[in-house]
Amino acid sequence: MKRKVYCSLLVLTFILTSFIGAHAASTAKIGFTYIMSGPFSAYGQFAKQGAELAIEEINAAGGINGNKVEGFFEDSTGKADVALRAIRKLVYQDKVDMLIGLDSSGVAKTVVPSIEQMKTPLIITHAATPDVTGSVCNKYTFRISLNLAQNVKAAALLAKETGAKKWTTVGPDYAFGHQSWEYFEKYLKELNPETTFLPKEDVAFPPFKTTDFSAYITKVMSSKPDGVFISLWGGNLIDFVRQASSMGFFNGDFQVLFSLGAATEVLTALGDKMPEGLWVGTRYWFLANDSAKNKSFVDSYFKKYGAYPSYNAHGAYSAVYAYKAAAEKAGSLDKEKIVSALEGLKLEIPTGTIEFRKGDHQAVTDAHWGKTAADTAYPHRILKPVKIFNGQDVTPSVAESGCSM
Amino acid sequence: MEILLLNILNGLSWGMLLFLIAVGLTTVFGVLGVLNFAHGSLFMLGAYLCMQTMQLFDSFWLGLLIGPLCAVFVGLLIEKFLLKRVYGRDVSFQLLLTFAVLLILDDAVRVIWGSGYHVVEPPAILNGIISVAGQDYPVYRLFLVLIGPLIGGLLWAFFHYTKWGKIIRAASFDNIMAEGVGINVPLIYTSVFALGTWLAALGGALAAPQQSLIPSMGEKIIIESFIVVVVGGMGSFPGAFVGALMLGLLESFGTVFAGRMQMAIPYILLAVILLVKPTGLFRKGV
Repeated sequence: MKRKVYCSLLVLTFILTSFIGAHAASTAKIGFTYIMSGPFSAYGQFAKQGAELAIEEINAAGGINGNKVEGFFEDSTGKADVALRAIRKLVYQDKVDMLIGLDSSGVAKTVVPSIEQMKTPLIITHAATPDVTGSVCNKYTFRISLNLAQNVKAAALLAKETGAKKWTTVGPDYAFGHQSWEYFEKYLKELNPETTFLPKEDVAFPPFKTTDFSAYITKVMSSKPDGVFISLWGGNLIDFVRQASSMGFFNGDFQVLFSLGAATEVLTALGDKMPEGLWVGTRYWFLANDSAKNKSFVDSYFKKYGAYPSYNAHGAYSAVYAYKAAAEKAGSLDKEKIVSALEGLKLEIPTGTIEFRKGDHQAVTDAHWGKTAADTAYPHRILKPVKIFNGQDVTPSVAESGCSM
Repeated sequence: MEILLLNILNGLSWGMLLFLIAVGLTTVFGVLGVLNFAHGSLFMLGAYLCMQTMQLFDSFWLGLLIGPLCAVFVGLLIEKFLLKRVYGRDVSFQLLLTFAVLLILDDAVRVIWGSGYHVVEPPAILNGIISVAGQDYPVYRLFLVLIGPLIGGLLWAFFHYTKWGKIIRAASFDNIMAEGVGINVPLIYTSVFALGTWLAALGGALAAPQQSLIPSMGEKIIIESFIVVVVGGMGSFPGAFVGALMLGLLESFGTVFAGRMQMAIPYILLAVILLVKPTGLFRKGV
């Protein structure tokens, strides 16, 4: 009798484990790496919300190729070594099929070369440095978000239209700020050779930790430019805008372009303190188009989280759908097949139709700029009019990107 | 000429804010002998509590009054239940403990108010701009330039002319002797820590209309405050004032004359002082 009980228990265990095993085999695992703690944890939070919304929607609609999608979230803390450890854990321990994430350009530049050894596809959704789809590009790395070069090219096209001749900049004193200015100078010079740019010692690169921008504001205003290109973002941008507007910076003496001014977290914090009529750029603008994809994304995001989606939420959300599209095209979750399927993949995401270029794996995606305007229907400034720059016009050629795979 | 004046004002207003933070830090060190790593977090707490009070009562002045007082309450709890236990111990215990408090406060703020950015509006009367040497200048910054010396002067008068002030100075000079002549030293310690907390939180509340609030805002300012304290002399009141002014003005003029080197200015100042006068500018030998 006892023997029988043991026997049946053993059989039961066997059945259960095999069931769990079978269950595990029918899961598509996606590993997400974002900044979840520290000063920039808000960006990780947005991305997580976007990713979770996409996973929820996909699972409700039957998953990817019939597989349930499961998300694993890791904190990069914004530090390259921590991010690399997190990604190794996702790949080797959690055995994810796909990697999505990366906020900081510094982190991305360190992580991307190691992705090749891990043989796992990665879609970057935020880090903007041109190098990860340029000088350090590789087979496994893709980027769905607008990169620095695309955004700045749009800024240069806009700057040409304003007719301003003498340009200066305010940007954070690290690679992003300096690269933004170099690209801006290069592109605008090509578009209009008569433009002049203030020399390096006369432009303003406040250190990232700056909270008091008054000295930089005074410096830029006293150099009497015709146009100012500003690449500050996040808290720096909020502090700068408030201090600058109280010092008369936006009185119309010169043109002002903010390359990342239309980020919803910045607009929300500033509220009606964001001056109207300023040119601001962003990687995604939730009111830019009326496509069904965009409407459904904005509505479900708002319903779930009570806020309008930021570009980081959009990036993570779209990357999950890009993975789904690639898996369906490949008819498999096999990593190598996913990589081949992603190459040249064309798909519609809320911001518009994008294509992962074969040559450098950068998504050819539209750049959005607009003028800040008040609208009582929204808790913050919106863009009116919105100016959409076609992805083909703002994406540098593969040869220019410096990528060779 | 206008640039010169504007830079002086920029430097002064930033220096005065630094002074408020540094003077609390230096007083706590001078009397309690504790190097308070969590001082920056108390600064942040002051800013958030000021914002919260403003949302409740719709008045910046009430926020300025009540916010720092609420922070003082938190400071009292920290002193009574945590710091008190490590006074006699090695300095590393104090550093570890106050660092832990920093982490706890930062995350507590994150849990309560979220990790996003918040902004605080200056009161209407200080919200305008005023013409200084032909350029627009925000009134609120001038207010900061004035409030620093005002609070500094009041503190100085308190330490030099009131009985309590004298007792605190006596206790900081020789706490065993002070206890011997019947001064309640533990009570002094508690009240000095409360004062230090109030100064940090007041600095936070005053900074709130100027900079965006995020949970890590204290970590940024604590480093420069430490530099001010070391430059001025650990525990020295006038040292904190002079150190804060020097740093404020150097940083302001640095953006004009030093270009990218500006970043290094606080550290160069620190290194020079440590080489030339390691006790700081105003530290009196005991």
